[in-house]
Amino acid sequence: MAGHQQAVWNDSESDGYEPLLAEKDRTTVDIEYDGLPEDLTRDSISLPALSEPEAARHYTRLSQMNYGIDSGPYPLGSCTMKYNPKFTEDIATRASAAVHPDRLEGSVQGTLQLYAELQDYLGRIGGMDAVTLQPPAGAAGEFTGILVAAAYHDRNGEGDERTEVIVPASAHGTNFATAAMAGYDVVELPATDDGRVDLEALESAVGSETAALMLTNPNTLGLFERDIAEIADIVHDAGGLLYYDGANLNALLGRARPGDMGFDIMHYNVHKTFATPHGGGGPGAGPIGVTEELAPFLPSPQVRQGSDGYELFEPSESIGKVHGAMGNWLVLLKTHAYIRRLGDEGLEDASAKAVLNANYLASQIDLEVPFGPFHHEFVASAGEIDAADFAKRMLDFGVHPPTTKWPEIVPEALMTEPTEVESKRSLDRLAAAFDAVDKDADALESAPERTSARYIDQTSAARSPRLSWHALSGEE
Amino acid sequence: MTFEIPAQRRYAESHEWILRRDDVVRVGITDFAQDELGDIVFVELPAAGETLEEGTEFGVVESIKAISDVYAPVSGPIAAVNEAILDRPELVNEDPYGEGWMIELETDDSLDHLLDPDQYEEQIQ
Amino acid sequence: MSQHETTLSTATSRSGTPFAPHSEADVEAMLQAVGADSVEDLFDVPESVRFDGSFGIDAASERDVRRQLTETLERNDSVTEFLGRGHYDHYVPSLVDHLADRSEFLTSYTQYQPEITQGFLQTLFEYQSLLVELTGLGVANCSMYDAATALGEAATLSQRIRAVTGDRVLVPDTLLDERRAVLENYVSGADLVVAEYQTDGGVVDPDEIAAAVDDDVAFVYVENPTTSGRIQPALEEIGTHLADSEVLFCLGSDPVALSLLQTPASVGADVVVGDASTLGLGSAYGMGLGLFACREEYLRQVPGRLVGASEDDRGQRAYTLTLQTREQHIRRERATSNICTNQAWVALRAAIHATLLGPDGLVDLAKSCHRLPQRLAARIDAIDGIEAPADEYPTLREFRATVEPPASEFVSALYEEGFAVHAVDEETVQICVTDANEREIDAFVAAIAEVLD
Repeated sequence: MAGHQQAVWNDSESDGYEPLLAEKDRTTVDIEYDGLPEDLTRDSISLPALSEPEAARHYTRLSQMNYGIDSGPYPLGSCTMKYNPKFTEDIATRASAAVHPDRLEGSVQGTLQLYAELQDYLGRIGGMDAVTLQPPAGAAGEFTGILVAAAYHDRNGEGDERTEVIVPASAHGTNFATAAMAGYDVVELPATDDGRVDLEALESAVGSETAALMLTNPNTLGLFERDIAEIADIVHDAGGLLYYDGANLNALLGRARPGDMGFDIMHYNVHKTFATPHGGGGPGAGPIGVTEELAPFLPSPQVRQGSDGYELFEPSESIGKVHGAMGNWLVLLKTHAYIRRLGDEGLEDASAKAVLNANYLASQIDLEVPFGPFHHEFVASAGEIDAADFAKRMLDFGVHPPTTKWPEIVPEALMTEPTEVESKRSLDRLAAAFDAVDKDADALESAPERTSARYIDQTSAARSPRLSWHALSGEE
Repeated sequence: MTFEIPAQRRYAESHEWILRRDDVVRVGITDFAQDELGDIVFVELPAAGETLEEGTEFGVVESIKAISDVYAPVSGPIAAVNEAILDRPELVNEDPYGEGWMIELETDDSLDHLLDPDQYEEQIQ
Repeated sequence: MSQHETTLSTATSRSGTPFAPHSEADVEAMLQAVGADSVEDLFDVPESVRFDGSFGIDAASERDVRRQLTETLERNDSVTEFLGRGHYDHYVPSLVDHLADRSEFLTSYTQYQPEITQGFLQTLFEYQSLLVELTGLGVANCSMYDAATALGEAATLSQRIRAVTGDRVLVPDTLLDERRAVLENYVSGADLVVAEYQTDGGVVDPDEIAAAVDDDVAFVYVENPTTSGRIQPALEEIGTHLADSEVLFCLGSDPVALSLLQTPASVGADVVVGDASTLGLGSAYGMGLGLFACREEYLRQVPGRLVGASEDDRGQRAYTLTLQTREQHIRRERATSNICTNQAWVALRAAIHATLLGPDGLVDLAKSCHRLPQRLAARIDAIDGIEAPADEYPTLREFRATVEPPASEFVSALYEEGFAVHAVDEETVQICVTDANEREIDAFVAAIAEVLD
């Protein structure tokens, strides 16, 4: 099994790899400025002073010590790492895109038109009646959606009574955190043996306290909740709302829409479904879609086409704002460009290939893969091997490992999502990497060996946190 | 794997041990519990003087990837807190029944409702 | 579902996604391997919820999408912005784009496998270090979404700190409506209420704070500079007042201002929030970079991601995400925040920009942000029909000017000349000038003279 060797830049004068900027230079500048009273300015500032060539080299080396989807396969389950078309970057860096947020609506018709178009596209793709683009990430979309649900119940005079949000045990951590942040008690819903929603448990969990059920479909195991219509009835009959976590929408494009399944509110993860780059942790965008009944509660402002062009307006019972401006605009712009590039057939094909790839890869690896057939992802078990150790060894084969140890329903879980962008040849190599790790337990001990850094001690990092170069040099 | 379960102590189902020392009881987490958590990196404890109700959480033990609440097995005011584990949480891993103890509660209450060593051993098997 | 089968049978033609590399033969072989006749068979979607319609979105070539979107963007009026009000532009050197667009950075995920993502982790560690230096506080996180959401997170932090018992969040009466609205939503689930204290156009009187703060107050927010550019004259006195209480003192600022103004730590601030994208990005329709720094003693209560230094098994220094038990993926409903994806790549841009400026460059930039509005105000003041600045407080980047009512008419007329400024009220406008638009000053002054002539 062939591997790779990630760059190692080693400076003999440091005890690490590529030195910190502050180890290359740290210059203290005393602040002398007679334009302001002395007591209103700081005394000094101490930062690295490097030339442009030195800075270019520093960050180029750091980039070589990093792995992206352009480096190789990145089958992180639930995270959906797929190729990010580069032309979208070129559109987002145009000067005409970088307008100030306080520009009057008449002066930014182009920007507002693209907002309105994207709202419309997302509504059609999700089967939702109204869409806001304001939430700056998926978790912010969840928060917005739950605030909308709260506003709806308040308007109906049930706000004080409906104090619970129901979340399946295997849901993303954000669902629990979001519900709590919005002031709700979280009710955890157990799963059936095959990881689906337990209808009986749901029946007994819902009631007059239920504000909403948050659900992703297909679920974390890549399985479609076949009882979705019944689930929707149970929640709606209890007076609650059904919230769709869009993390796995990339599995269903053109086959099923959350709005048609009975969901009242949903968020879209534009990175996962529409290939905007993840940027090493963000920025993302988490638009939400809602039914017509909930549209009056959306954040302000919304964009619409009026008689004199595109305009901003405040929905009649708006929850207010969830971002200081109009969300992560440049990310939304890339989303728009991607959707336009693919169109109906491209989007449908993206889901088809994502589902085909997941099922194919699941069939090619020797590890136990319970459940199936799958949609966009599957969960294999590392068996006797600790999934975290399994993942470290995979790094040596030039592939990013799957998500590990989650969901807990599968022991030593390796949650794997190859996405549509891997070729059959690439999937075969990926399968070979899984098997190579599985069959050579002796190599686990020293893994990883071909990455820029070797196995990193997380325990000491957490026991004695050192979070800046000041802390490293003992300045604090 | 076998875990140390000293005699002379009582145990809670939530994996605390309880040891009577005259008019106080000392509380910590069991060998099994520390092993389940892995390397402990942080411990949060209440202040001495606070009064705890049986069954309420009084502290948190964290490893890198997991957190666990610690519950009061009996009621009573906190007589002492083991400050040493705040700076050296690894003591809970290294010596859970000794240097890794957590708090002492003032109480005369009976400990009979808690598990004896045999019952606790059965629980963790 | 013949429609979908058609799509697949023509998988190698242009009708599918251009970003899936499968040949028709690949698809056949893969279907055979999984034992399915068609890909549609793999979709386990009950008939009752099947979607048989279409989205009605036409595909287009890369060239056509670029052209169409570019043309649409060109419908934005091309005017020179003298706009600020919390969103500031500074010249971003070319190297920032070139380095940040390296795909190893841009196309990577959150650093859950630190051994293979040392480059981004080190950059975020250096970003945190930059903020520690600028604020003087012990801890900075990897980012929040923007200034408004960072303020919301800071307010809820007060509830997690044991010593803080109050439930009121005090904000200046000049707080931007949009920031106030976001804050209200962030505290809505936390049993906190937002209240205002009086200021003199944003300038905070320490006596006002002393009078407003009682046992019910949990959090006081002060901006320096304010979103009308004013530099606070009495932060130290405010800090002294609040030091005796258990109230959390939160300062709003940005990295350029912090390079010159009093450090938050020196005036007793407990938390600093703001928009750090003043470095590296600029006003991309309000897309931001939420700055969040605080005292080290609040470390376990910090929202968002933190990168820490550690060692690998050869004893070499390495970096890793740390203290993750605070976060939603482990602590779930008891997490310090629900934030997951943040603005990491914008933080990378800010860090590169700061590196290119260096300490001298940062301080010089900040000084120019003080000099430029002074000079521009003086030139405008010489024109009949406008008084600038409207008051004598020192400012950074912007200032207010008084015109004949209605100010909106002046703003519209100036817009027709190709310049955008803020209308504040009937007789006040706000003007922002930095290195990004300073080369347009002559034309701007001429346009004002023209409009008022």
